[in-house]
Amino acid sequence: MRKKLEILLVFGLMVAITTLFVVSPKEIISLSEKRTLATLPALTWDTYVSGDFSKGINLYINDHFPFRAEAVRLTEAFRYNLGFQLQNQEKIVVVGKPKKVQAPEDINLDSAAQKAYLEGFEEFDAGSVLILNGKIYTTNSGDPAISPYFAEMLNVYADSLRGKARVFSAVAPLSSAFIPLKSYNRYAERNEATLQAIQTNLNPEVYFADVMGEMNQHYNEYLWYGSDHHWTGLGAYYGYVAFCRAAGITPVPLNSMERKERKGFLGTLYELTRDQSVRDNPDRVETYIPPGIETKAIYYNAYDFKYPQLSKVFCNAPNYSAFICGDTPLMKITTNVKNGKKIAVVKNSMGNAFVVYLISHYEQIYVVDFRYSKHNLLKIMKEAQVNDLVFAVGMYAAVSRGTIGMMRNLAYQKYQDYDDVLKQEEAQRILDSINGVQDTLVVQNQN
Amino acid sequence: MVFSSLTFLYFFLPLSIVFYFAFKNIRVQNFILLLFSFIFYAWGEPVWVILLLFSGLLDYFNGLLIDKFRENKTVRLVALLNSIILNLGLLATFKYADFIIQNTNFLLGTSFTEPNILLPVGISFYTFQTLSYTIDVYKGEVKAEKNPIDFLMFVSLFPQLVAGPIVRYAEVAAQTHVRPFDWPSVATGVNRFCVGLFKKVVLANSVGILVEKYLQVQFNDLSTPEAWFGIVLYSLQLYFDFSGYSDMAIGLGRIFGFTFPENFRHPYAATSVANFYQRWHMTLGRFLRDYVYIPLGGNKKHQIRNILVVWFLTGLWHGASWNFVLWGLFLGVFMVIEKVLKKYFDLLPRFALYAYALLVVNFSRSFFYFDDFEKLGIFLGKLFYSPNPIGAGWGADLASYAFLYVVVILFCIPWDEIFPKSSKTNEVASRYYRGFSLGINLLFLLLATALIVDDTYNPFIYFRF
Repeated sequence: MRKKLEILLVFGLMVAITTLFVVSPKEIISLSEKRTLATLPALTWDTYVSGDFSKGINLYINDHFPFRAEAVRLTEAFRYNLGFQLQNQEKIVVVGKPKKVQAPEDINLDSAAQKAYLEGFEEFDAGSVLILNGKIYTTNSGDPAISPYFAEMLNVYADSLRGKARVFSAVAPLSSAFIPLKSYNRYAERNEATLQAIQTNLNPEVYFADVMGEMNQHYNEYLWYGSDHHWTGLGAYYGYVAFCRAAGITPVPLNSMERKERKGFLGTLYELTRDQSVRDNPDRVETYIPPGIETKAIYYNAYDFKYPQLSKVFCNAPNYSAFICGDTPLMKITTNVKNGKKIAVVKNSMGNAFVVYLISHYEQIYVVDFRYSKHNLLKIMKEAQVNDLVFAVGMYAAVSRGTIGMMRNLAYQKYQDYDDVLKQEEAQRILDSINGVQDTLVVQNQN
Repeated sequence: MVFSSLTFLYFFLPLSIVFYFAFKNIRVQNFILLLFSFIFYAWGEPVWVILLLFSGLLDYFNGLLIDKFRENKTVRLVALLNSIILNLGLLATFKYADFIIQNTNFLLGTSFTEPNILLPVGISFYTFQTLSYTIDVYKGEVKAEKNPIDFLMFVSLFPQLVAGPIVRYAEVAAQTHVRPFDWPSVATGVNRFCVGLFKKVVLANSVGILVEKYLQVQFNDLSTPEAWFGIVLYSLQLYFDFSGYSDMAIGLGRIFGFTFPENFRHPYAATSVANFYQRWHMTLGRFLRDYVYIPLGGNKKHQIRNILVVWFLTGLWHGASWNFVLWGLFLGVFMVIEKVLKKYFDLLPRFALYAYALLVVNFSRSFFYFDDFEKLGIFLGKLFYSPNPIGAGWGADLASYAFLYVVVILFCIPWDEIFPKSSKTNEVASRYYRGFSLGINLLFLLLATALIVDDTYNPFIYFRF
């Protein structure tokens, strides 16, 4: 009897969960994962042979499994209680596979400095984040040997825009360069070396904003979120100061800006690691609003200028979307500054917190997210007579072939595959709606 | 498909059990197992499932031929050679083609292109299984199976298809035709499966996170203690991964009425390298012993050569790369040393023997882990000396996984050897275990499920890792 019970309990549990899976309504998006969930794949000869069908079914089952959130929480508690948590002890969480550094094939690395630089990076810390005293640091810097490509790409832009616009590099370092313990200096050194390699390979006509140098002067301030891979409003402010120095502009002093603060932010790195020490130490989102500037912001789809939608430079969001309301393919900000100056900012999300300070100095700001935009950047710049172009990206975008390729494509791309366009637009729309919902959720919680 | 997936645990397995037990007729049950086994295999290998069918049918007919022409030596021999050549040919093509071509190109300066064939899952297991069948029929140790469905079911049986144990036909021949159902046996199977799932998903994967951290991410900055820490953890990860999988296979076998041979017997309680491998992946050791070592002369003729040949092949079987061969030969050499210096080894106290076996086995895992010789060299160096004497972060890993290590060590201790079945302690402990097994099974299943679900939790980051 007991044996029967033993079997039936295990089997019964399996069948109960399976039944629940079958009958429960399926979600389309996962809010906490910020992504769309898998849909059922179609069974065709091609999808069968390629294995896409079985993989698709696996993904579908994984994505719609009952009690998913509870399972993640249980795992989190289980992992946290596998031992004792100590102070000042690092924990490294692996989130991907490290890749071997490949020397660039089509760039001629003649100088001894460049060779020495490359030899310093046999292997880099890809795919891991470091957790230390309730803060998460990104240690993976992509492939550092690729950074000369980034410089080369900027040189090409400078060539094309000679006499028409200035080109700036404003690459943000990684948070690991600012770990407040001496034993982690190696990360700072690596960040510096990568940025130096960019600077060395830039043509003299490209302006280099020494973002890391400026941030270093304020290393003990709240420059980085502990639960997110982005810099804070303050960190980005120092990036902006570095840009101003390179551009010959006087930065607006921080103390003249209006400071707003939202508490209780847990960002993407927390979602990724689910570390309880980080959850116990949530971030605050600070925004600094330049005085006396009025703005109007609109954004466009990935591939045309139809259907502009209204947006804002500062959003009332308790997360990183506080800055320009999150990522959009192309945003145009118009200000009441009447000086005839216009700037284009090529950015990934790291640039969002940076852009907001430019409103004091430019009449128009074109914010191009190189990951989503399919517009032709040079055409926009020519038609709008833009005077400055700045690449405000996180370092990981400057050290990966894929992202550099995307930035390069902005110079001449025209959209080819309409299906892709639609897919991308749909994905963007969903992401926007997620951001919207998230804002609402958190606001409700706080109320 | 893998056992530790939601698709298997919550769809494939319940469905196969429902269909299987819906019928009482063993012919139908065998057909259902065959059908599910092919779906199981095709799920991961939609194209190369054809190889499984080919290998199975090939040896089915070879077996029949040998049986039918028992008196005709030539036909028997041709059928046997046919099986050996074609099965090993399949392995050579699908597993070793790139390796053979690389080495030919290297040695002869030729420039043949590598075909880059992706290794079909489990090919090393099922080809050995069908091959052993034909050899056993040839030697007259078993009768040929007449029913193709029953034979293909034996070859493709999903519990042991992709990662063993390597079952010999003689062991399950009778069960192919008669499998009386009994609840205690199924309960044992369920229990064994849950324990295996726990070992694989909870223990091996948790240890694996640390392994990756030490042997990959922090490779360049490793200190000597960290290098040892990493390699010992890797050794444990392999053990829990593989023995967990074998437990699940044996457990599933029991649910469907089969008794598969054991594959692991507390290897970490070994007193020599040879002893370790009498306790680790036992069905592979047995295969090579019966079909290579003994035919070569075994203990009687050229023993040292035979040991080295077997361990060269063991290495090669594990992967088409020289590091595996080096691994095999490294162990082979120690086994030879153990034979030659046996009388001195016998003088050593028991704890020294444990320590010796653990040291050599864990050290040898380096050859297994690093297929890049440059990295292997650096790592072996770090096991002896590193400019970084202690290392920074492993104190935290010792502390924050403290309970995991305790569980891992508890699982490595050979309780049934310390307290034999007849002893009072064993009896009491077994009674307690039986009392809790119901809860333990559910706990293991739920925890493993949560961890698998967590693994699929995939936050989207606008951040390209």
